[in-house]
This record gives sequence, C-alpha cells and structure tokens, in this order.
Amino acid sequence: MGGPQYDLLMNPLGAVRQTFEKAVASSQPSGLDPTALYRGKDWGIVDVLNQFLFSQGGLAQVPILDASSLKWIKPNTLVRFRGMVQDMLGNEFYIGAFKDGCTWRTNKFLDFSPFSVPPVSETTLWERRLFHCVPVPGQNSWAIESTPYPLKINISNEMTCQHGEKRRRDDDPDGISDFDCCDEGSSSSNKKQKDCGSASHHKIAEITNGSSFPTNSFSCLVKVYDMPESQFKLNEVVEFIGIYTFDPELTTSDRSDNVDDDMSMFDFMDDVATHLPPSKVPRIHCLVSQKLSTQDLISNSPACEPLPNVIRGIRDSLVSYLSCTLGNDVIAAQCLLLHLLSKLRVKSDVASVGQLSLNLTGFTQESASIFGKQLNNAIKTLLPYSHTIPLTIEYLNTAMLQPKKDNESGRLLMGALQLASGTHLTLDETVMQSGTLNSKGVENVLLLKHLMEHQIVEYDFQFYKLEMATEVQCLIISEAKSNILPADLVVPVCPSAVAPVSASEEQLHAWRWYLTTVRSLPYSTDTSICEMLQNEMVEAMRKDRSLGCSDLSRWMTMAQLMAASFGEKSFSVEHWQMVKEIERLRKERL
Amino acid sequence: MTGYLQCGRSSGNALPQLASSREISLHFPPILPLFSLTLLVASFPANFSRPPFLLPLNLTWSDEQSAMASNGHSSPFGQATPNGNSNSSQTPRRSSRRRTNNSNSSPASSPFPLETPPSRPAGVASTPTTSRRRGTRHNPNATPSTPLSTDDAVPPYSSDRDENDNMETDGQDDTTPVFVWGTNISVQEVNGAILRFLRHFRDARSASESSEAADLMSEGKYMRVVHRIMELEGAESLDIDAHDVFEYDPDLYNKMVRYPLEVLAIFDIVLMDLVARIDPLFEKHIQTRIHNLKSSVCMRNLNPSDIEKMVSIKGMIIRCSSIIPELKEAIFRCLVCGFYSDPVLVDRGRINEPTRCLREECKAMNSMSLVHNRCRFADKQIVKLQETPDEIPEGGTPHTVSVLMHDKLVDAGKPGDRVEITGIYRAMSVRVGPSQRTVKSIFKTYIDCLHLKKTDKSRLQIDDSVNHDANNNAANHEEDDASLYHDKIEKLKELSKLPDIYDRLTRSLAPNIWELDDVKRGLLCQLFGGNALKLGSSGASLRGDINILLVGDPGTSKSQLLQYMHKLSPRGIYTSGRGSSAVGLTAYVTKDPETGETVLESGALVLSDRGVCCIDEFDKMSDNARSMLHEVMEQQTVSIAKAGIIASLNARTSVLACANPSESRYNPRLSVIDNIHLPPTLLSRFDLIYLILDKADEQTDRRLAKHIVSLFFQNPDNSVHEVLDLTTLVAYISYAKKHIHPVLSDEAAEELTRQYVQMRQRGNTPGSRKKVITATARQIESLIRLSEALARMRFSQVVEVGDVAEAFRLLEVALQQSATDHSTGTIDMDLIMTGISASERTRRENILAATRNLVMEKLVTGGPAVRALELLEELKKQSSMEVHLSDLKIALSTLTSEGLVVFHGDTIKRI
Repeated sequence: MGGPQYDLLMNPLGAVRQTFEKAVASSQPSGLDPTALYRGKDWGIVDVLNQFLFSQGGLAQVPILDASSLKWIKPNTLVRFRGMVQDMLGNEFYIGAFKDGCTWRTNKFLDFSPFSVPPVSETTLWERRLFHCVPVPGQNSWAIESTPYPLKINISNEMTCQHGEKRRRDDDPDGISDFDCCDEGSSSSNKKQKDCGSASHHKIAEITNGSSFPTNSFSCLVKVYDMPESQFKLNEVVEFIGIYTFDPELTTSDRSDNVDDDMSMFDFMDDVATHLPPSKVPRIHCLVSQKLSTQDLISNSPACEPLPNVIRGIRDSLVSYLSCTLGNDVIAAQCLLLHLLSKLRVKSDVASVGQLSLNLTGFTQESASIFGKQLNNAIKTLLPYSHTIPLTIEYLNTAMLQPKKDNESGRLLMGALQLASGTHLTLDETVMQSGTLNSKGVENVLLLKHLMEHQIVEYDFQFYKLEMATEVQCLIISEAKSNILPADLVVPVCPSAVAPVSASEEQLHAWRWYLTTVRSLPYSTDTSICEMLQNEMVEAMRKDRSLGCSDLSRWMTMAQLMAASFGEKSFSVEHWQMVKEIERLRKERL
Repeated sequence: MTGYLQCGRSSGNALPQLASSREISLHFPPILPLFSLTLLVASFPANFSRPPFLLPLNLTWSDEQSAMASNGHSSPFGQATPNGNSNSSQTPRRSSRRRTNNSNSSPASSPFPLETPPSRPAGVASTPTTSRRRGTRHNPNATPSTPLSTDDAVPPYSSDRDENDNMETDGQDDTTPVFVWGTNISVQEVNGAILRFLRHFRDARSASESSEAADLMSEGKYMRVVHRIMELEGAESLDIDAHDVFEYDPDLYNKMVRYPLEVLAIFDIVLMDLVARIDPLFEKHIQTRIHNLKSSVCMRNLNPSDIEKMVSIKGMIIRCSSIIPELKEAIFRCLVCGFYSDPVLVDRGRINEPTRCLREECKAMNSMSLVHNRCRFADKQIVKLQETPDEIPEGGTPHTVSVLMHDKLVDAGKPGDRVEITGIYRAMSVRVGPSQRTVKSIFKTYIDCLHLKKTDKSRLQIDDSVNHDANNNAANHEEDDASLYHDKIEKLKELSKLPDIYDRLTRSLAPNIWELDDVKRGLLCQLFGGNALKLGSSGASLRGDINILLVGDPGTSKSQLLQYMHKLSPRGIYTSGRGSSAVGLTAYVTKDPETGETVLESGALVLSDRGVCCIDEFDKMSDNARSMLHEVMEQQTVSIAKAGIIASLNARTSVLACANPSESRYNPRLSVIDNIHLPPTLLSRFDLIYLILDKADEQTDRRLAKHIVSLFFQNPDNSVHEVLDLTTLVAYISYAKKHIHPVLSDEAAEELTRQYVQMRQRGNTPGSRKKVITATARQIESLIRLSEALARMRFSQVVEVGDVAEAFRLLEVALQQSATDHSTGTIDMDLIMTGISASERTRRENILAATRNLVMEKLVTGGPAVRALELLEELKKQSSMEVHLSDLKIALSTLTSEGLVVFHGDTIKRI
C-alpha cells in the first residue's frame, strides 16, 4: 500500500477504514476474531496520525475548531480543539465492528453507520467516553490560538477541489469509500451558520444571568476512544485532535417533532447528548489527545534553561511594571508578584503550603476604578486564564457560583467557580454596599470562603455534594481588610502617582513565560537553614505575642515564593530577610 | 417428547439453521426487549403480570402440542408451543385454555376462589371490570362467539396427584436435551435444578427445625415462603437470595447470571407449576425476584460484555418518571357489528390491529377499533440511578444509568434513596427518527430491574429523629457518612478498643497546638457530646450538648483551636462575635463607615443545628445577639418574630466561644466576669470555662516554629506519632454520635452522687463562716454530659465509674482556672454565678460594718459634710485590712440605700 494514499487532513475516515482493513487482513491468518482483537484497542490509525502530526509537521495544518472556524470547516475532516472538560457524560455503546457480507467494517470514529447494520449476531458492541468540553473559562485573548489565516484559505480552496474529486469517486462502484453526506454537509453548512448564530445569541442570554463570563456559547461533545477510566479529570484543559462530524440527517430529526409513541416514553432514558443537539454542539471523534498545561499556551518559549541573571532581569522589569499599575507602590507590587507565583503545594490539616491569597486594601471607589482597572488589565495580559467577580450584594444573591447538576437534563450546569486550574480570580469588594444577603448569597459567600481557605469547590449534585479540588489564585481588592473573605496576606496599597502603563509585546511575552515557568518550578528544601529559621521564629514570637501559626507559615510560603521568583529552587537566608523586610514595611502600613 | 433444537454454545457467527425460520435471535426491539416469543403470557392460568422480558424464551418444541392435546398431561412446559411459522397469537391461546382446564378442576376460574363456588359458571371474566384477568376467560358462553373457543373439549378432572409425583422427574423424561438457542443451557437440566433448589434448599441455620417437618411441601426454605405467599393476599413475588442459589448449586447460579432471561423464564414456569400443584385455584402469578448477587458491579465499570447479564449495582435514585401504563393485551371492537375481538397480545412491542372483523357474518374491513377500558395494562417506570459519592474517583463526575421498573417495583424507591438493584443490563438501538428506518450505531443502555433493596434503611431507623428534622444540609452530610458505615466501621471499632484511645484522640485534636491537653480533652467531650434527654411526661428536654468558653490572652491559639473544631464538626459554623446576629438564615453585610471594613452578620446558630457553633470574639458580640444565646444554650431553640408569627427554630448546637479579656491582658486579680464583661447568667450556661493564659514559654514557641518549618521541609521524623488523621477522626466522632448512646451504670451514678456531695461540702470547710458554693445543679448536669461523652469515646454503651471520675477531673480543672477565688484559692461557683466570690462578699461586709460604725461615730445627723478621702484615712487606721476608695464607695452606696447617709460627689452627709 505504501505511503498514505489518503489525505489525513481532509479524509481521516479513509485512513481509519484502510488501517482497519489492513489490520483485519493481518489478523485473519491467525484465525482470531478481529473484533475481539481490536476491541478497546487501536489498530494502527493513531500511529499513522501521530507520525503525520508530530514527525511530518502536520499539526500546523490542522485547523482549530472554534466558533468562527465552525462555519467553514468541513465535516469529517481533521480538526484540533482546545477546551476544558466541563462535564463527563459517561459512556456510550456503539456497534464497533460488524460484518457486511464477508468483510468486517468499523463504525469507530463515526456518529452513525453509513451502511445498514446487519443483525446483532454479526456485530460487536464497543464503548467510548463522552466529554462535554467548553473553551476554557476566562481564557484571555492572547492565550487563544486560532487557525492562521493562510491555512484557512488553503482549506477553503481544497474544499472546492475536493468536490471535483468527489464526483469522480461517486462514479466508482465502490462509492461507499467516501461519504455521501459530503454534499449535504457543505450545502447545509450555510443553513447551519444561521443556526449557530441564533443559537449563540440564545445561549449568551442564558449564560449571562448566571456567570458573568464573556464566553461564546461554543462547546463541543468529544467522544474519546480506548482510554483508561481516569485519564481526564473534570476541569482539565485538553487538546483534542480528531474528526469533526456533522450529519445533517441527525440534525433534522429534532426531538420536538419526534412524537413516535414508541420513542416518547423512552425520552426519559435519553442520554444527555440529546440536550446538546449536533446543530449547536459539534461532535469530535478524538484520535489523539493531550493535556495542556499553562506552559503549552506560551508559544515558542525560550527553550533554554532559565538562567538566574535572565530571570532576575525579567523579574525586575515585571516588578516595576506591576508597581506602575499600582501607582508606584513597590511593596504591593512585590506582594502581588509573590501572589501571582503562588500555587498550592501541600495540603495539611492546619495549613495549606504554597498558596498565598492576597487582599489589596486602601482602594476607594474612585481609586479602584483607576488602579483596579489597570490591575485587571495587567493580570489579563500576563496570565492565560483570569476572571473577575464584582462582589455586590446583588451579584452574590443571584449569581450561580456553584456548579450544579441538573438531574432533569443530566448535565452539570456550569457555575462561575468551575474554573480550570491555574485560573486567577479577582474579587472586587470595593463595589460592596450594605445590604441583606439571602440564603443563596450566604451560600455563595461560604463557597468563596471555602475556595480561598482550602482550594476546594463543592459541586452540588442535588442529593449530595462533591468536593472538587481546584487551583485558583484569589486576589481581593477592597477598601479595608475584608472580613468576608479573609486572605492570607493583607496589603494596604499606597499609590503615589498615576502613571500610564505600557509594555511592549516582547516584554509581555517574557513576563508570561516567566510567570508560568517559575510557577511550575519544583521546590526543594535546604535543611541547613532550618535551625536558623526556628530561632528567627522563636525570636519573633517573643517580640510579638500575637503571632500565630498562620503568620509563621505565611512567612515560610513567602520566603519560598521569593526564592522561586529569582529562579531558585530552595530559599536562603537572603530571601528570608527580604520577606521579613516586606513584612515589616507592610506592618507599618496596617 | 423430543427436543429438536440442539446446539452448543456457538460463537456468534455460526447460526443454527433453525434460527432462520424464526424472525428472532438477538436483536433489540425498540420498546419491548423481547426475545423471540415462544412461551406466551396468556397461556398461564391467571393474570400474569410478569414483565415481558422474562417470558420469552427461545424454546422450540416438537409436536408436543398434539401429544398434549391427546393425553391432557401437562408438563412444566406444556404451554410451550412451537412458534415456527404458525400464527403465534392463536396457538398459545388454544393451549392456554387447555392448560387452565387441565389444572383447574372447574371451568370457572374466579379471581376469588374462596368466595366463588367452583361450579358457578364463569361470567365474571366477561365483565369489563376484570380487564386484568382477560387470560382467564374460558367459558364459551361468556365470550361472545370466539371462533376458537369451540374447539375446547373440556377434559376430565386432571390428575393433580400424578403430576405431583412425576413432576420432579419430568425433566428426565426427555431423552433428548433441549437447549436454549445459542447457549449451552439445557432446559430440562435447568428446570430440574431449579425445582431441586426450590424444594430442597434449606438454610443452614434452620436445617434442624425443618427436618422435623413431615410435610413434603414445607420442607425447603423456599417452599415455606411459597406457602406463605399463597396464604397472603397481595404478595406476588418470591425473593430468592442468590447466595442460596450459589450455595446449593453453583452451576445454576452461573447460568442464571450469564443467561438471566432464559433461566428466569424457566424459574417462573417451574414456580408456577409448583404453585398450581399446591393449589390449582391459586391464580396469581408469583414472580421470582433474585437479589443479593455474589458480586456487585460499580456503575462506571458496566461495559458491553455485561449486556444481557444479571448485574447488581448500588446507587442513588435521582429521578423517577411518572408511571407509564404499558399495553399488554388489547381488545378490539368492530364498529360495524359491535363484535369484540379476542385479546390481542403485544408481540415484540407491537399490537397487530385486525384489519377486518373476525365475525363470519360481518367481515367488515378496517372496522376494528381499540377498546381502551378493556385492555390490560401493566405499570412501568423509568428511574435514573446515579453513583454514590464513594464510588466516584477523584476529579470525576457521577455516572448515571436508567433502570426500568415493572409492576410492584414501580415507585418502590424515591429520589434520594440509596438502593441496591439487581437486574439485567440491556442495550437498545437508537433509531434516528420516526420516519427513518436507519438505525444509529449507538445503543442506549438500561437495566431491567428484578429486585430493589434500599440500602440505607437500617441507618435511617437509627437516627430517625435526626433525619426528620434536620434540614437539607444535614441530610447531605449524613449521606456522605453512609459510605463510612460499610467500609470503615470495623476499623473504627478496632480503634475504639485501644486502651489509649482517649489520649490518642486528645493528641489527634489540633496536633500542632501543644500543651493545653485538658482544654483539648474538654473540646473532645464537646465533639462527642452527651445524650439529649426528653422527659416524656413534662415534655421538658435536657440538652446533651456541651458548651465551652475559652478565655485567654491574645495569641494563645484560641482561634486556631476554634478553627480546628470547626473543621472537625460536621455542621460547624465559624463566626466572629462581631458579625453574629444569632438568628435568621440570611445575613447582613455592614460597612464600617470609618474604616470601610465590611462585616458579614450571619445567623450562625440556626445554621449549626446539631453541630458546633464556634464564636470567636464572643465578648464583642452585641447584647442583643447575646441575649439570644440564653435561649439557645439552655432550651436549644431560637425564637424569631416575623410578620406577627413567633417561630421557634431548633438550634441544638454546642457553643464553643472564645473571648479576649477586656483589658487585652487577663488580670488575674479580677474575676472572670470582670475580665471579660460577660453577664453571669450567660457564663453559668457554659459547662466548661477554660482560662488560657499566655505564659511566654520559649519551649512551646520552639515547638511551633519547628513544626511549621517541618511542614515546609517535610521532615518525616518530626511528625507526631499515633495520631488519627482528620478524616478518621471525623468518621470516629460521627459514628460514635450516631450509634453510641451510653447509659449511666449504677456504680457510676453512685460515684457521681458521692463526688457531687463531696464537692458541695468542700465549701463548708470548718473555719469559714459563710457557705461557699462549690457546685450547683447545673454542674451535675454538666458532669453527666461529660461522662457520657467520655463513654462515647470508647464506644461504650455504659458510663463507668472511670468516666465519672474523669468528668470530675475535667470540670475541676476548668473550675480551678476560672472559678478560683484568688484571695482564698478555693473554688467558688458564686464567682461565675454572680461575679462576686464569697470571700469578696465577706470582705465587703466587713468594710460595710466598719464604715457604718465610723459614720455613726464621726458624723452627726444634719452635720457638716465629710470628704470621702478623710473617711478612707480613718478607715485605714481602724481596719487591719487593706481598703481602697472603691471599696469605700461600694459601702457608702449601700449605706445610702439604707438611708443613713447622703453620698454626693465626694462628700458624705449623715441624715
């Protein structure tokens, strides 16, 4: 057969079929049942694809599926999709392989069978997992990768070519090798565009009353094959490469006009997929997938080992940038930097090691409108995912922060706190006024508090609650110390000047790289300074009797983060002294 | 009789030739998951309400039908008719009639055999009201001209005896085994095995008793059950423990689990025959319900290989559909001539509507219409089952599965119930749309439920009271705890048997806070709590919750203790005194106008019903909120007046409060009350009051520092040994609180009385003139609670003397810290009850007497005024004790009230 005769990009199903036939043929002599052999296993298609994508540089040619590209991407082609696993819809059984006459055929990576399915005796059931994926909530525009323009042109051109080619194939007696729905697919894509437009309007309205994400309503139903149970967890960010399918026939059969009495009583048994009609939620049959960390979002990062002086240079420029946004307040900027680098490392009964939630105080309504905005913009340009919640009475009383399972539809409704790990959350308390919180408001406050203290969000499953570990950095902006949401570190901001903040694209890139890299650096411990630290602490406690366990562990966290900010893995006396100095200056302001 | 279909378990592609003659085999019809229909419902003598999936059986029989017709002999499979190409709706009906006539000694088969004389002509069945008993119609006169009914030659009374005798050997009569298509199940073999099981299975425990029973029919465990079912009206199913089946016949068990459809159909037939032999008039069909399989599957592990197998899964019902009436038998009426058709059976989910009237004279085309109220329906319900939290892996969401319930199982479980379901896992193809014949390649899966068991029933009974009035939140927590019950119970019990469990628990409580061991022990008691008592006659109740107050210097880790307790207590609420409004489920946000600090005032107490309410900065609580606490801490309710209605809400909470001294540092020279400015009425409601004073101790500081450093450097050698982790501790406490309800033993009660009397007597030490109260009735209640809590820690149902002794020790430690009169060094409850110690009172009286004397001596009525300081000087000269101006002022104000002097500003005048 030689090299691939099929176009992996435009006709991945051809490759699927071919490799399957090849695999079946090779298994024939051994006399084994091919269906049993390839059940829950790959028969070589993934290897072929991996080689194409990663060795032959095919990855760049795969268009990224998003709300805009959905309009021109053709069904049954290879696409890339980056999203957060928002809900797990369980498993789906399908006829994996069946015998058509005397040849085995497969339905893997397909929504429906293009052939009439023979009686059950000659079919085998396989299973696949369904995930409902959404674009990562709060993803900032710089971190969103979209299909480069030339590629788009290319594909559009190819699409027209394909049509000519297709006609030839149709004449082929073996015409089944391609999809009959190609025609309909492209012709109906216009129709679908309209559909999508109205659908997204509808959905946006739906969403805005709950969470305040400026999300486009785009979401994807990803079908994943041959995967161990716990490969993906909820709220993980994953890149899926797979086949985008769209079947107009399935779309036309809307549930509402399905009044067949046989079926209606089984509506109740319907899987959740029916609530995600294919016309609104595209299907992707995943071939290759990989988890994405925040580092993967920083394109062409300097591959070199982070050199101390490079890091130090970036750090200094970043601190000055942050202090600029905070009106030349260096102390606050230092604390903010530590906060941005914080990440929960160890969880124990008493203290959470590594997390450092920050409360910047001293903002009035007016100053918050200046500095708060600048700060928000800075965070948006620096971190891949960020989200701001205005803490008003009204918001707390009405917003759906808690993700909640809707047992009617079987879906997990996204609350504002269903966030991908590594998301930055800004809570703006300056807008808070006196007022009464209703029971929902109280619940929301407890939820936020719980998140800040334990990095856990409780998901409501109606009859019980499940605790989901999250990794979210919380920053609170308030007039005075927030008693509603107690943060680890309270820093009054003393702005001295309003300076216009600007940064070049190059700088921004360096800072982004710095933040993600430093955050992911492993910590190591240098036990030689243990004794010194203990003495220091005992000394400090003697001076100030009000020092408690939480203060001391905060110092440790800050020292560790301080060391990390210089690219060091373990902290030294020098870093400890720096933290002590910051603490001293901070105390003066309180 | 010869079976002619014989094939072993063939691997999928080898189709037996005969299968092609039937339009069956493994396919998944859209609604009724029928297998090919060869055994028919209507053929059974009575109203047969078995869910459809169990009936069909791939049995094919030779010309048995004719053989049976001739000899009238009915084998267990007498009803089985060859499907072949014959009209399936006719043959079974004919045989049914024969069957009924054979087994019933009279042609009439009334639904109430006892009330209706057997000889009465059966007109009953023809009335529309008995629509469920369609199958029992056999009187030709009652049925308007059924063409088929005429062929029924009523045979003589059947020989029930004979059948009884050879019933067991029926299976062996056949020399050629009959296999269920596609399997290695020999029908005869299975039939025999089931019969043997039903007849002879004995519980190992009751074996000895039953052997004495001479009666053949009541010897086996299930035979007895069958008899009982037959005696009871309404009982329609026979629960069979799968463990019993396995014990008796592992092979049968395996067959049952692998081919449940086939085996259960045989099970039903065997059972029915058995019943018919015992009482031919017994009309109800008894269904077999298998439960308690040897292994249960986790919901997320169900996979294609489980399809068509018997599975057992645990889960929680999250949703129930409304009841769906499912048509079982349809009756049509000719619109032209009014002729009623025979019942038409559902065949693979479809009813074939007759196209023309069956009456010879009429034969009108397309005239038949369905008569709804004469059709027979069965109940059906679809239930969604969701995984319980303990089965969900980290970072996953719960899976759900649909369960199909039939007949009696409908509404057997409500949303929120934890259930264990035994059923058959099935898959069903999805059609794309109503018009399209194309079938999607996707399958929907569901479970046909055979048996439903509520798994949390026993637990509900234990803490019924809790579940009834606890709100939603509490229910959630208790649900969460349920998982512990099964796995961890043994571990917890083992723990409780450790001799040092008390110390170990103490160590486990806030392990990073050192010293304060007695405080921790008190807190531990609070977590476990005593028994709440309700005095039946008067309706008064005694609280079981223990309230604790911590008073101490700032920075003495009081707050940490509170935080820790908050984490441990299942429904703990942590609030600051500054923001507690005690009542209400809502909260109020206030903004300090000066600092801009926002404060959340939440109604902590109602929310922490049955939990621990931790109130930090208790001293800063508003008087209004504090007054509410009076009610909470003794009556355990909160009264709310809203819209003219006074509502009393439950607030059965233990209060753990901590307060800072008003002068930032605790002044040991003053009493507790003076130090924290709390009203004595409130203070006396705390069972234990601990003083935590900061004795700048470098040792402790060093340990804290070391601990924090080690937390970061993860030095394993520094970890505290033999400590229960947080989750175990929580589990331990919640188990003890729910299941252990200790009672005072006689010795303990005696010890309690003795010690209490002793404690009170201590106040009357010789030499002291005035009685000092060292204990009050409130203390004895506290002591009982404490000793009950201590017994709970050991999972002991009895409070022993040791517990009482420890309770006394704890109380004394607390009293010594808070109620010690510093001037005498003895415990004085008056300090807490009134804020003034007895010795202080004596001193004041002495001063008063001296002042009075002085006034009488020095001042003349109406004479010139004297300055207070002068008087003080005088007093100091006279008196041996130290007198302060404040003391003098107190004495003078008393004299003023007596009307002896006028005390104005700084001058005193006698009147």
